[in-house]
Order: sequence, then structure tokens, then C-alpha cells
Amino acid sequence: MRKYVLKRVLTAVFTLLVILLVLFILMQLMPGSPFNDEKLTDDQLQLLYEKYGLDKPIIVQFFNYVKNMFTGDFGVSYKISKNTPIAQLIASRLPISIGIGFMAVFIGALIGLILGIVAAIWHDTILDTIATIISVIGVSVPSYVFALALSFEFGFTLGWFPMLYSNSAQLSSSILPSVSLSMFTMASIARFTRSEMMEVMDSEYMLLAESKGLSGRALILRHALRNALIPIVTVLAPLIVDLMTGSLVVEKIFSIPGVGSLLVNAIQSNDYNVVISLSFIYSAMYIVIMLVVDILYGIIDPRIRLAKEDG
Amino acid sequence: MKKRLLSIALAAAMTVTLFGCGGTSSDTTTSSGDSSSSSASVSSSDLNIMLETAVESLDPQEATDGTSFEVIADFTDGLMQMDEDGQAVEAIAESYESSDDGLTWTFHLREDATWSNGEPVTAADFVFGWQRAVDPDVASEYSYMLSDIGQIKNAAEIIEGNVDKSELGVTAEDDYTLVVELEAPVSYFLSLMYFPTFYPVNEAFFNECGDSYATSPDTLLSNGAFVIDDYEPAATAFHLTKNDDYYDADTVQLSGLNYQVIQDSQQALMSYQSGDLDMTLVNGDQVEQVQDDDEYLAVGAGYLWYVAPNMDAVEELANENIRFAMTYAINRDSICEDVLKDGSAPTYTAVPPEFATGPDGSDFSADQTMFADVCSYDADKAAEAWEKGLSELGVTSLEFDMIVDSDDAPQKVAQVLKEQWETALPGLTVNLVVEPKKQRVQDMQDGNFELGLTRWGPDYADPMTYLGMWVTGNNNNYGLWSNSEYDAIIEECTTGEIAQDEEARWQKLYDAEQIVMDEAVIFPLYTQCNAEMISSNVTGVEFHPVALNRVYKRAVKSE
Repeated sequence: MRKYVLKRVLTAVFTLLVILLVLFILMQLMPGSPFNDEKLTDDQLQLLYEKYGLDKPIIVQFFNYVKNMFTGDFGVSYKISKNTPIAQLIASRLPISIGIGFMAVFIGALIGLILGIVAAIWHDTILDTIATIISVIGVSVPSYVFALALSFEFGFTLGWFPMLYSNSAQLSSSILPSVSLSMFTMASIARFTRSEMMEVMDSEYMLLAESKGLSGRALILRHALRNALIPIVTVLAPLIVDLMTGSLVVEKIFSIPGVGSLLVNAIQSNDYNVVISLSFIYSAMYIVIMLVVDILYGIIDPRIRLAKEDG
Repeated sequence: MKKRLLSIALAAAMTVTLFGCGGTSSDTTTSSGDSSSSSASVSSSDLNIMLETAVESLDPQEATDGTSFEVIADFTDGLMQMDEDGQAVEAIAESYESSDDGLTWTFHLREDATWSNGEPVTAADFVFGWQRAVDPDVASEYSYMLSDIGQIKNAAEIIEGNVDKSELGVTAEDDYTLVVELEAPVSYFLSLMYFPTFYPVNEAFFNECGDSYATSPDTLLSNGAFVIDDYEPAATAFHLTKNDDYYDADTVQLSGLNYQVIQDSQQALMSYQSGDLDMTLVNGDQVEQVQDDDEYLAVGAGYLWYVAPNMDAVEELANENIRFAMTYAINRDSICEDVLKDGSAPTYTAVPPEFATGPDGSDFSADQTMFADVCSYDADKAAEAWEKGLSELGVTSLEFDMIVDSDDAPQKVAQVLKEQWETALPGLTVNLVVEPKKQRVQDMQDGNFELGLTRWGPDYADPMTYLGMWVTGNNNNYGLWSNSEYDAIIEECTTGEIAQDEEARWQKLYDAEQIVMDEAVIFPLYTQCNAEMISSNVTGVEFHPVALNRVYKRAVKSE
């Protein structure tokens, strides 16, 4: 197991370095500079490039960046928050994004599981149909549409929740964004849980358990759900990543001071360091989530761990 | 099948709810949300202001965007500030005089102005601020305000790194006397003094803060109407409170300013309608639903939108008749009224109206018919010039590419231009090439285009901010047009004897504009307006197309 994890971690680190290099090259290909291209003369631009070390060859910039990164220095913003160290920008914003993301995953997974179980147990009834309708809408409608609709309905018309994120009412102002973000997760989990549960419940060991006299909650939770959970954990990981992308737009809509809205603004204004470090963090989060899922997989089902150790 | 039908019906119902959002809007003060108190320090007579973008920097010498300038000016006064008409009036300077040759300005500072740490605002603070602006280590993007535009002695040399910044032509004669030396007389010099790049910075405080200067309330000093008390870099919400120690505190009626960044226009309008905001920007699509509202206001943004033909690289566009045909064929009224609908004004001059006032106090471009014979909408003249141009070129049809920003408004305008041109000028095909703005600007500066739809905002309240663009070799002279007579006039108005004779200079500037129009160097289209909603219980907010877009010092919010 340890060897397996070590190998995975090393691969992850290498992948991240490659991502960083690709990001650097992509930044180089973006048109214009982070500065006011329209008003500045070439001499002034040159001065700014020199100030920020952007006049050096790309490969030198890359190695300098990697070197600084190990000391926690992600550089400074050139445009969206001039000269502010990116570590400082992110430090105050990442917790907000993670908080809302966590809330969304929690809401999505919980409701999704319940919907899926309900639909599987009472399949082909009206409950199943309702669950299916909810899942279809959740999967097909993008999160920003939910965001706008929820904000109109529950923020503007009913006035139950704030329409915009506010530091003084963090919880209540996080609900609408979290729910909008959670819809896709919820719908996918519901659909997946339903099909997995149905499959498990049709299996022979369930028949055996039932014939042994087990019934009700014990049967569903201990035997059906536990076996159905394994594949669900794997889909949850890419769902979390989808959620991160969804947050880019949803954060903008609710004026959330998170990293998603920061990244969008940075891309639009060529703020190289911000784009690079945030994309890097997003990639790192993706890779870490995948790694965790792999390890979780082994914990839930010992057979997998053993098989991997053999391999 | 039944399931699918049901889900489709439900999805449709949801979509209808969504589009329904636009419909009901006329009742403006529905006090529904109890969620309006977003910050502990917010009081009821705070003005709640929506911003489209976050502040980029609160360092006056580093800031470059309108939002940052607006906020910096909320809490900082320069030597001069803008009055409600956009004229420069005394602020930290109590009085001033200039020498007969216009090369030396002496400002006498008021002695009752203090920084929010209690220290007095002195002439040395201005010297320090200005030296930062030209310091190559700071590399301020607006350093050209001191060199090219302000003509301050040695500024250009310092920026290039040839001379030490201590040689800048600004000295503190004593604590309250500031002397500025210029390379050449600048007739609009006083109007530069309210531009944030020229604001003072307290040196001792700056050194204390080091790299973190201007990133939090603790690292900012105020000498203006408000004090910032809640802010972090790139904040989506921040707050300023009235400065009780301000020398002109009696004028300030608001208890504070509560800024909220909202990038989504629907959210912004809903927040306004629910009473969470007192002011908001409205985008083009929303204007239709609010334009009959008493609280709707179209505010001049100063930007001139125009088409630049690349006369240097495209032989057909070097033909004057072809260019005239194209400018005659544009129906600017239709673009503003049918497409933009946000109050933008059709423009027939190379210098847009309503930002530069002359020696007699009148608007430089108030008369939009001044160049009617070379720039107007006239389909017959267009067809005639087109025929002539085609026969001179010996062709029967022409095809041009026009590069356009990927933003919403420019794309719509470009579509209409294409339609108008292709209808009025037989044989003309215009292909639209949509590019991200940065790419479009780069292509135009590289001369890598045929036609380009572009814009220019004024940096200071003088026609030169536009006319300076078409000088031979200027970066923004996209068509690489060159006319020695024009260059001579601009030179004369900038550094020649006439630079001090305001009336003669004004007349010369018209002569220069005439040349630009006579040769159809650009096809002016319209002057951009911003559509704002401002609550009926708020008065006295001042809007300016130059430098400080919104000033709140004299604003009043009634309960």
C-alpha cells in the first residue's frame, strides 16, 4: 500500500510540474500584456517587463517561478490587484471557495443519495418518477442558470436569502450559491445510486441475505448501500472537479470573494501570475482528490487494495 | 416516454420563470430584503454603490483604472479637485500662480489639511508622490501624465533612467509652498492636478508600510472627504466612512460609502430594485426595461468609438473617395437609437463632445455639424464617392476585413456597420473578424488589419488627448497616417509660442481636427454613455467623463 501511494504521489508531482510548464507556455501565447496596451508606449512596456522580470526568456522565468514557489512565493499580481502577493490574495479567498464547495458537495451527495435510494426501493412508482425528473433537470441545466433562477426566486421575490455574498452573513449568503452548485452533483449521485442499488438488490447475495431473514433498514444499509457506495465514491471525485469549474461562474454571479471569480478576472486581464498559480492550485486539487479517492476505494473494499498490492 | 415528457415540461416551466425575471421591474422601492446590512459599520445614510470591477490598486501612482481612481479620490485630495462641472477648483492648494512664460507654477497649500494620522499635508508629500510617479523602479503606467502631458521638467529623462528622480521639476520651497517647473507651457495644467497620479503621498508613512502600502485600512492614509475603514486587495465589498477631520467636512453629508462589486448585471439590477443599492450600472439589454423610469440616467463616459482604416497597408483604403464613401454610408443615429439604446450620442467629430471646455467655457465639440460636408449620413454622396473611388482603382468590387472586440456592444455595432455599408455601397463585402480585446489592440498596433473598430477615452480635459493620437509615428495612429502640416500644428500647440495663448491655440486645434476629418483618417461613430440607475432620494452625485468618473463629496441621501 505504502509503495503504491508513494508512486502515485511522485507521479502527481511530476504531472504538476508539466502542467506548470504548459501554463507558462500558454501565457506566453496570450495576446497583449497585463498592462494597458492601448495607452502605453513600447518603452514604458519594456520598463514594466523589466520590473517584473518578464523580459527574461520563458525558461528562465519558469525555473525562477518554480524555485520561488517552494518558498511559498507565487509572485505578485500585475493587474487585478496590483503588486499584491498572490499567496496573500489566495489565503483570504481559498477558504471561502472551499467552504462553499464543501457545502455544495455535502448537500449534493446527501440529497442525491436519498433520492437515489428512494428511487431504487420504490422503483417504477411515482416517487421514482419525481426523483428522475429532478435528476434530469439537475444534470441538464448548468449551475449558473440555477444560480440566477434561485437568486431571483428566493433572493429577490421572496427575500429569504441575500442575493449577494456578504462577510457579515456568511452562512445565509452561502446557501443559494451552494445549492446552485450542488444541483449537478445531486442529480448525478441520485441517478448513479439508483442504478447501483437496483443492480445490488437484484444480486444473489441480497436474495441470500433476505432469505436469511434480514429485512428493512439493516438489509438496505448494511448490504445494499455499502456495496453500491463503491462506484459512487469514484463518480464523486470528478463531480467535485465539475463543481470547481462551476464555481468560476457562480462566484461571479453572487459576488463571492473566492478564487473562482479571481481566476476569471485574471484570465480576462492577462494577469499571468494569478492565472498560473490558480490553475496550478486547481490542478493540484484535482490530482489530490483523485489520489484520495483511489485510497478511499481501497478502504471501502479491501479486495481492491489487495489486488493493487499484488500488482 | 411519459417520464421524458414530464421532465421536458418541467424544464420549460423553469426557463419561463427565468425569462420572466426581466418583466416586472417598474416598482423600484420594494423593501423586501431584510438582508441589507452587509457590514457592521454600515449606517443608513451611507451611499450604497455598485461597481462593475474591483479596485486594482489604491496606490495613487500605481492605479490605472477608473474604478481605482474614483475610490482613491474619495479619500484623497490633490492640489485641485473637480467641481460639479468638471472644472479644476482649489483643494489642498489654497491659491496658485503661474509665471508669465507659463513655465513655473507656484501652489500655496492650505495649512489646515491633515492626513488621517494627524500629520499635516505638506509640499514635501507632493514632491514624494510625483517623484514616485516617474521613478523607473516604480514603473508607473501613468508616468506619461507627468512627462508627455504635464511637461514637467526632466520627467521624460527620469522615466528613461538618464536622470535621477530628485531632479524632477517639483520642489517644496517650504512646508506649504510647492513650485513646479515645466519644459513647455501647458494650458490645461490645472486640470491635471485632480488626476490621482498627481496626488500626494506621505513619505514617512509610506516607508513604514513598505510593500504592503495601500493594501488595507492600516496601510492607507486619507486627507480627503472619506476614510477607508474596511478593505482588502481585490475586495468584492468595502467601506469608507466620513472623515471628520477633513478641512471641508461641513460639505460632506453622507455618513459613508458602501461599495459592492457585482459583475452580473441581473444581480445588480435586482439588488438595486430591492433597495440594497442606491446606484447601479445597467447594461444595454436592460436599458429598455428601465429607460422610462425616473431613476434612469445616461451618463457620458467620454469614450469615442470609431473605425480606423489602415491606409498604409491597404491600397484601396488609401483612396480618399473610398474612405469618404464609407463614412457617408454610416447611419450613426440608427446605431445609437436602434442598437445601443443606452443614450450614446452619434458623433461626427474626431474629438468627442462634453469633456473639454475652451477659454470661453464652451464645449470644444458642441457643434456636431462642424464637419458635415465630410462626415455625415448621406447615401447619395456615399454612392457617388464609391463610384468614383472604384473607377479610380479600376475595380468593381472590394472586400475588407474588420477586426472587432469580442464584447457584446462592439459586436452588435459591427454587425450594423457591415449591413449599412453593404447596402449603401454596391460591390462591397465586409467580413467581421471577432477577437479578444487584447488581440485586437495588438493587431491594430502592429498594423495587422484592414478596418478596425476601436475606442479611445480621454486622459485629461483637453482636445489634445485625442488629437495627439494622429501625429506621425504615434502608437495609436493605427492607420499610420502622416501629414506634416498636421504634425506642425500639434507641435505648435504643445510646445510652441501659441501654447500659452488659449484662444489662438483653441482655434489651431480646430484646424488640426479639420485636417483629420478632411482626409477621413477615422470614421467617428458615437460617444459612449453609461446607463445608470440612481435612487430618487440621492442627489448631488457628480459624473465626469474624464479622470474621476463619479464624485460623492457633495452627494446627499435623504431618508
